[in-house]
Amino acid sequence: MIKHIFKLIWNKKGANVLVLLEIFLAFLVLFAVLSFVFYNVDRLANPLGFEIENRKYVSFGDLEEMDSLTRAQSLDLMKRSLEDLNLIEEVAFSNNVRPFGGSNNCHGNENKGYLVQACYAVVDHNFINTNGMKITAGRGFLEEDINAAYDPIIPNEHFMNEFFPGQDMIDSIISFQGDKKIIGVIEAFKYNGEFEESDNRALLLNTPGNDVRMTTAYLKLDPSADVSYEERISNTIQSVLKTSSFVIQDAPLLSKRTNLETWVPMVALLCICAFLCINIALGLFGVLSYSISKRKGEVGLRRAIGASGGSITQQFTLEIVLLASLAIFVGIFFAVQVPLHSLIDAPHDIFYRGILYAALIILAVVTLCALYPSIQAARIHPATALRED
Amino acid sequence: MIELQNVNKVYRTKTIETTALNNINLNVPAGEFLSIMGPSGCGKSTLLNIIGLLDEPSNGAVSIAGNQVKSYSGKGIANFRNEKLGFIFQSFHLIPDLSVVDNVELPLLYRKVGSKQRRMMAEEAIESVGLKNRMSHHPSQLSGGQKQRVAIARAIVGNPQIILADEPTGNLDSVMGNEVMDILTGLNSTNNTTIVMVTHDENMAKKTHKLMRLYDGAQVK
Repeated sequence: MIKHIFKLIWNKKGANVLVLLEIFLAFLVLFAVLSFVFYNVDRLANPLGFEIENRKYVSFGDLEEMDSLTRAQSLDLMKRSLEDLNLIEEVAFSNNVRPFGGSNNCHGNENKGYLVQACYAVVDHNFINTNGMKITAGRGFLEEDINAAYDPIIPNEHFMNEFFPGQDMIDSIISFQGDKKIIGVIEAFKYNGEFEESDNRALLLNTPGNDVRMTTAYLKLDPSADVSYEERISNTIQSVLKTSSFVIQDAPLLSKRTNLETWVPMVALLCICAFLCINIALGLFGVLSYSISKRKGEVGLRRAIGASGGSITQQFTLEIVLLASLAIFVGIFFAVQVPLHSLIDAPHDIFYRGILYAALIILAVVTLCALYPSIQAARIHPATALRED
Repeated sequence: MIELQNVNKVYRTKTIETTALNNINLNVPAGEFLSIMGPSGCGKSTLLNIIGLLDEPSNGAVSIAGNQVKSYSGKGIANFRNEKLGFIFQSFHLIPDLSVVDNVELPLLYRKVGSKQRRMMAEEAIESVGLKNRMSHHPSQLSGGQKQRVAIARAIVGNPQIILADEPTGNLDSVMGNEVMDILTGLNSTNNTTIVMVTHDENMAKKTHKLMRLYDGAQVK
């Protein structure tokens, strides 16, 4: 029967070519959108690496104008003043690389033949606690690390897995912005948001030796602190810095805004795909219904020579499913070139999943569209069909 | 071979009731060539459809090849039609997208005959109607007479016991009509195939064993 149906499809190639082209193009669009969605969803599934609930970030630009001693004194005073507020549990500082801020500091170093590359943030010893970061090996920064023989570094797991897979590197010295001692490993640090791809990240402790400007304060608040509490924080900072040139931002809100930048195009593209599928469904439904109404005589003949109603349904459904499979097969040939030749810099498995799900969705839509007209064809009374032709 | 007892067929709509067949009794023994004649709308095709199990009588009993017909739907009746009956239509009913040999193979496809065997049987049937050199042609490349010969080949390819022909010469000129008629009489005499033929043509009807006349759905005695 399959061979017979292929013969019918081939002999009607002129009429089938547009349907074939429509399904082929729809497959490619679905493949692209689904691959994009899988790419983002996969990244969303990876841990963020820090907590955002009850956290606020304060960015202050004016400190960059101060000399290092005045800046250190101001930060120390700010820290103590903020810690004195009853609803602030923890305070920490970092350089300009703060979560959802869009800034990056990246560095690459030859390390015993390996090129160790990572993006990093310079932080104080309280940064990990304040941001609720998970340490998976070793320990976090301590105050005494500031004056240790080697500056400490805490990379993330991705960093360790890429450069030192399966090795216990705690207390080892690596070359990264000078010699650094690995004292611990954090789970993750996706500071560009939840949709950021897991990459090499490291936390460096701010020590007197490096003249890094700490321009962001991190506040961990008691859950009972409401929006109005921001005013007290603002007043406190203003009284220390003698300026209003700073910005207090709510971490969950920042996260939401950053995520929206990915969610909006993703949902928009999915809506376009859904619209495309509906259009294909309606188009196919119309084409099939018309085609079957034109083939009533054939239905009557097939019934007369021994086809059951089920055979008629099967034949008409198979015709369109095989046609769709043919279009999908051609689509797969093109789609598979993307991972095979690494045309796009992304994990290959998302493209294979994109191909699989695009094929399944198209086949499901096509089968559903074909079923109703095919069942209707099977219900045509053979005597009526033969007479009407 | 074919037995109809008190067969009636009434078509009903919400407002109209039309009697297509009225108390038809018919007994066609094996090997007989019966022709059915009558004016348009007298129920000839309806009777043929009932004999061919394509339509269900409103009441009465139908027995084909020794089998009392109880159900007119389902796989069983489809298989029965496939194995016991062959159909020839006035408008040929060839599938335009298939070649001659593929058209003739169709009944064997539903009998699940293997492709080689199917091809062999189809070629034999086509040869028997004199179209050996037209196997790969498509219906649009054939004349009316050739199309009807293809339809006959398709009807006989599965060696059915009964052939039902609905005005097989209706669309053909007299020369081609006689050719088709010769094939049918040949089948009847050599294979002992029972044939029931609806026709408007007295000359064709004279070539059959028996003639049944219908008028307004009833047998004319």
